Formats: sequence, C-alpha cells, structure tokens
Amino acid sequence: MKILLFLVIGTVANAQSLPEVLKQGESVFNKSCATGYCHGARGTTGGAPRLAARGFDQNFINNTVTRGVQSTAMPAFGTALSRADLTAVVAYVASLNGVANPAIVSSGPAGPPAVRLSAEDARGRDLFSDSVRGFGRCSTCHEIAGIGIPVATPIAKVPADAAALKALATPQVSTATVGSESMPALMVSKKADAVIFYDLTSAPPVLRTETPASVQTGDGSSWRHSSVIGAYNDAELAAILSYLRVTVKP
Amino acid sequence: MRIPAFLVVALLPALVPLRAQDAGVTHADWPHYGGTQFSWRYSALDQVNTSNVKNLLPAWIFQTGDYSEYLGSTPIVVDGVMYLISASERVFALDAAKGTVIWQYRYPTPRRGIAGSHSDFIQNRGVAVSDGKVIFGTRDNFLVALDQKTGREVWKVSVDDPKQCGCNNLSAPLIVKDKVIVGGNGGDQAHRGYLTAFYTKTGRVAWRWYVVPGPGEKGNETWKGDSWRYGGGAPWLTGSFDPELNLVYWGTGNAAADFYDADRVAPGTNKSRDVNLYTASVVALDADTGKLRWHFQEVPDDLWDFDSAYEVILMDRQIRGQMRKILVHMNKSGLTFVLDRTTGEFLSSFNAPELSNWISGVTEDGKLVGRDEPVLGKTKNLCPSTAGAKSWNSMAYSPRTGFLYTPTNEICNDITPNDSKPSEGRFYMNGDFPMRLPPNRSTYSHVDAWDPVTSKKIWSVPYKYVLLSSMLATAGDLVFTGDPEGNFFALDARNGDRLWSFQTGAGHRGASISYSVNGRQYIAVTTGWQQTLVGGGVVGLFPEESFRDGSTLVVFALPEGSR
Repeated sequence: MKILLFLVIGTVANAQSLPEVLKQGESVFNKSCATGYCHGARGTTGGAPRLAARGFDQNFINNTVTRGVQSTAMPAFGTALSRADLTAVVAYVASLNGVANPAIVSSGPAGPPAVRLSAEDARGRDLFSDSVRGFGRCSTCHEIAGIGIPVATPIAKVPADAAALKALATPQVSTATVGSESMPALMVSKKADAVIFYDLTSAPPVLRTETPASVQTGDGSSWRHSSVIGAYNDAELAAILSYLRVTVKP
Repeated sequence: MRIPAFLVVALLPALVPLRAQDAGVTHADWPHYGGTQFSWRYSALDQVNTSNVKNLLPAWIFQTGDYSEYLGSTPIVVDGVMYLISASERVFALDAAKGTVIWQYRYPTPRRGIAGSHSDFIQNRGVAVSDGKVIFGTRDNFLVALDQKTGREVWKVSVDDPKQCGCNNLSAPLIVKDKVIVGGNGGDQAHRGYLTAFYTKTGRVAWRWYVVPGPGEKGNETWKGDSWRYGGGAPWLTGSFDPELNLVYWGTGNAAADFYDADRVAPGTNKSRDVNLYTASVVALDADTGKLRWHFQEVPDDLWDFDSAYEVILMDRQIRGQMRKILVHMNKSGLTFVLDRTTGEFLSSFNAPELSNWISGVTEDGKLVGRDEPVLGKTKNLCPSTAGAKSWNSMAYSPRTGFLYTPTNEICNDITPNDSKPSEGRFYMNGDFPMRLPPNRSTYSHVDAWDPVTSKKIWSVPYKYVLLSSMLATAGDLVFTGDPEGNFFALDARNGDRLWSFQTGAGHRGASISYSVNGRQYIAVTTGWQQTLVGGGVVGLFPEESFRDGSTLVVFALPEGSR
C-alpha cells in the first residue's frame, strides 16, 4: 500500500512537462553548479570543465552528478539534492549537450527525505548550530542530522527540560594530566603507543594525542555540561530540546 | 660590471634601517610562508647571482604522488629540513639537501562539506612550523599540528563546520609568538568571515575576530538590516606580523553578495568610505587580544569581487624625507596601497594593470572615483576580472633595489548580476562573470618592478598567457617565477633581463623559495597547473594550449665545483 502511494506521488511529480523540468533544472544548476568558480551560466565557462556541447549522454551525466568525481572538486550530488532536483539538473545538462528529449522520469536512490518541522522545532534546529554564537553553539560538540562536529557520542536520550539539560551527568568525562597541567578529558582511545582524548578545557575541544608515558588519566572531573551552554537562555534551550526530540532516534 | 656585494651592503643602511632589513630577510632557513613575517619573499643568499644563474641545474626532484590537484604550497625550511604539503594534505619532511623522505603523514580522507560550495575545492597553500610542530589547515576545516621530529599528530581542532559554512582553511597559518593564526574561505558564500588564533602548545583558542561586526559592535551600522550575518569578508590568505608594534596585519575579502548590493547597502549610502566594514580592507589587530587597532578599507562596497585578502608587505622607507614604518598592499584589482602601518594613514597608491575600467582613479587621500558598478539586468565588460590583476600568489620585495616584483594579468570579465537570496554556506555571488580576453592584444600578462615610494613602474616584461605563481627575490639580484607552460625563469632584478629558464614539465601555480644547507644555496619551485578555480578558468581562454597538471617539487642549485 505504501509503495503504491509512493508511485502515485512519483507520477504526479513527473507530470511536469519537459520545459518545466528544464526550467527547474536550470534553477538548480544556477545555485549549485553555475557559480563562475565552477561551471558558469549555461555550463559554458568557469573554473571547472565546460559542460555545454561536450557530447555527454544523459547516463554519463546522471552518474557523474550523482556520484561525483573522486579526488576532484566535483561532489556527489546524489545525497545533497532531492530526487526531483537531481533529475531536473541532469535533464538540463543533457539539454546543453544537444539531447533533444532528455528523460525526465526519476530513477535511482532518492535524496534525503524532507523532515517537516514545526516552527518551534525549526527554531531549535537553527539555534543548535547558530553561527552567531560561535563556539558556544551545540554543534561545536554534537552532530545532528549531518550538522555539527561529532566530539560527543551521538545523543541517545534527550533531557526533559532546560533544568535537566543543565544537571546532565557526564560520567564519561575524566581528568587527564599532561606534565603539570590537569584538564577535563573525553577519552577516545588508549593504545600501547598513543592515548587520544579531547581536551575540554575550552571550546572548541582539542583532540590531543599523547604517548602513554606523558599522560596520566583519572576518573571524574569538575567539568559540567551546564558550563558550556551559557550562550543560550532557557527558552532557547527548550526549543533545541524540542528539535532533538523529533530528530534523535533512540 | 657587477658591483661587489660588500659595497652594496655597505650602502644599504642609508636606504633601509637595519631593523626592517633583519625582519624581512631570510638566510639559510625559509621559516614562514612569506619568507619572514614581513612577507618579502626575499632571500639574502647570493651564491646564485646574475652572472652564474645560467649554470643552475636540478639538484633533486620530489614527486608527491598526490595528483588530485596542483602543488601550490610554499615549502618551509628549518635547519636543513623541508616541510611540504600537497593538495590533499599529505605532509612530507624532506632532507632539504637530498630530497629523501624523513617522515610523511597522510590526512585521512575527510568528509565533504556542502556539495557545490567552497569546501569542495582541493588545494593547500602551505604549513607553518613553530614550537616543535608542523601546523596546517584541512579541507574539512580542522587545524592540525604534527610533531616536527616524527610527523605524528599532536593536536587537532575544528575551526568551523564545513557542512554548515561550506568553508575551510587551506592557506598557510601565520605564526605569531605563542599562537598560530588562521583565516578561512567562504566569503563568496552566505558566511561571516573571521580570523582565529590558537595556542601552538595546546591547540586551544586564544581569540577570534569577526571581519563583520555583530550587533552593538562598531561598524555593524554599515550593514543594511540583518545582512551582516552573511556579509562575507573572509580573510582567506596569510597575514603579516610586526613584533615591535605587536600588530598582526591581514587583508579581508569582499562583501557578500559579490555583485549585487541592494540587500547589504542602504539606499543613498555615501560610498567614498567605510561601507560594509571591515570587508575589502587591511586591518591591524593586537596580536595578544585580536582587538582591532585600525582599518583601511580599500574597496568600499566591493561590487567586483576584488577582495583585499592578499599578502601584506611590511617595510621601513623614507617617505617625503621622513623614515616611515609602512605596509604595501595590493588587492585583486591590482590597485596597491601604501599605508603607515602604525596608524593606517593613507600615503600613496599605484595601479598595476594596464586595463582598469572599474574606476577612473584614486584621490590624493585614497578614495575611489568614477566607480563603474555592475547593474542588475545588464551585462558589463569590466576590467580587471574576478580572477585578479594578480591572483593570490605573492609579490616579492628586494631591499637591495627597493622594488616590488609582481605578476599582473590583463583579463576582463562580463558581469551579469542577479538578486538571489542567501542560504547559509551556499554560494552567494549573485552574478555570472565569464572571463574575457581584452581585444587587440597579443600578451595578457607581465612581470613588473614597482617602486612603492615613488609609485613608478621601473620595468615590465610581457608574457603571452597569464602568470599565477608567486615571486621570489634574492640578494643575487635575481627574481624568479614560473609560467603556465612550465618554464621556471630568472630575471635581473634591476632591469628585467631574462637570464635563465628551465622547462619543469608542468604549469606553475605555486611558489618558489631559496635556502641553504651546508653552504650550498638551493632554489625550490612547486609545479602543477591548477585544474579548478582561476587556473581552470583561464584554460578556457587559451584553448590551443595545454597547461599541464602535476604535483612535483623541483630543486635547483649550482653544480658542485662550479660555484
């Protein structure tokens, strides 16, 4: 039943006429590909290879756009664009290569599913990685939905409210002593030749690699999660928690 | 007849005081990206000179094996060891006399940032060496420190999240006392640029300075509405440092959006000074705190993507009878400003390109006049192009001649603005700008010698295509650079005579340095033509030519016994 519904939606999306799809493709191209440092408007010039009138067939274009070109600046758009946008931009580039009737039916894996967020959750999402807060933002240490630096292990349980977030126990934070200096540490690995941990003294955390002889580690730390979330007020923290509740998969 | 070197040296103190001389000159080592923190790219070594340069031969060659992009980094040499980074962050410590590998390090393949953003481009402009560490930026926007002796990772810290900002830091960090300072790219995107200082010992942040001031900060009032949030200004190259004044100097990038200003500049704004601060400016920051001491905006309301992110050259010179601490700074338009580096006071300017139609001139107090701005709904042919009268490659300065040596390109572009809205970390240039060759020319670049005090061009040597490699000046009165056809060549610093040339096999988009080991002078040059960005863009202008890719370091010296 679910599959059927999906097919119906697919048909509706593909009910666009060719000129409509090409127009959409041009719009996607202008935002993601055309900038003069890359392929230029209509794929004619730029810092990356010319794309117009190269004799590319649609299959080749689809593969290249979807998978990217390894070890070059050409990224894989297969996971970055929606399926409709991907199909449209491939058809558009095909049209630049003289393909008279490019296929406009989607195939292959879909892009990331669109998550519908309430206004409050969307605000929470924006606050989570708000660049105006510099290193004080959550995404300095946490990665959610592909945004942020995964210093901490993935968030598994979302605190009930701002007070619970501030009181969060962090037993995994220990103390590392290098020379005469002790620092709060998040241990990553201890091997025979290297001890690797995050120094949490200040934000952003610094990944340190020490020899086992040069570092001493001890359980417990005076570090508190409440000391690193001061860039947000309680209402903002509540919005962030609300966003996490709809995003975090337990 | 060649003047004996000791006579010239004896005469020098009259022209240049010893202090600046010492601070700007390299000797056996090449310790910083710009040679020294004064960014002269000048070596005091004179074993190779105008009379024997014709005998230069390769001493050793090093292939990085990383052919993902060109080798464009400036090598660092300390105590006979060379530290070299390739485009995909492979770092090598090499015996600088023989080219043998002491250690090597490969940065793990990073996760990619936003597809179709600045974070996709692969390149690296160099490492910094200090405090027993080799420090460099990465494509996924970390700053990494390796142990200088072993190449093992010591610390690693995230500068920003490329999955959000679409940005990274691929220029050489600047060492300033106990800190290492990095800028970053992304200023042609919806992004707000900044400089960040980290302690070399621990990797912890010491300070961050935002190019675009936030609400409540001075300068924020020069931005319309909320446009400061994505105002660009990314300081994407490497700055300079004057230890005596304790000031860090840095050039900042263009405002975003590049070619369309209605969302960032209020109607009726006076564009003669201070629009969208502190973009397209030279700034002086306190080295310890990162606090702004002074600024000079070169392109108020930069609508041409002219940046001002380039190198800042510090020197002391007699100006109108008075010894002044000055800095010389060229932006992408080729317009070059001479400022008092203590106060930021404008002293003079000169314009390097022959073709320059975006302004009609500069007033005696440094203001732009006769601006020809891109206009929504129109296409205008404007010169120079966004590729730059000079690209990011550096000039050189010789205290022996008192001249600056710079490559200059004569390329225009057709700018067609649009009024797209910003999306964080995505390109926010708001325009198309294909490069165009100007009509009725047979050469499209030249190497020039300029006197920054008199604003006079001393000599100029034309070249057929474009020049996108840094300059090197030496006390042997030589100026070195390379061209896209693969020639690495030496000019006479006094008159521009071409004295020597060697075909290295691939285009030049990087830098050359000079150093010595056990009394033997070496000259090293990186090779390999850039396949994307400006390097890739100019290939389309000269379809009959093949500017070859690669990633090889070629090191020259006089043959043993011929010195």
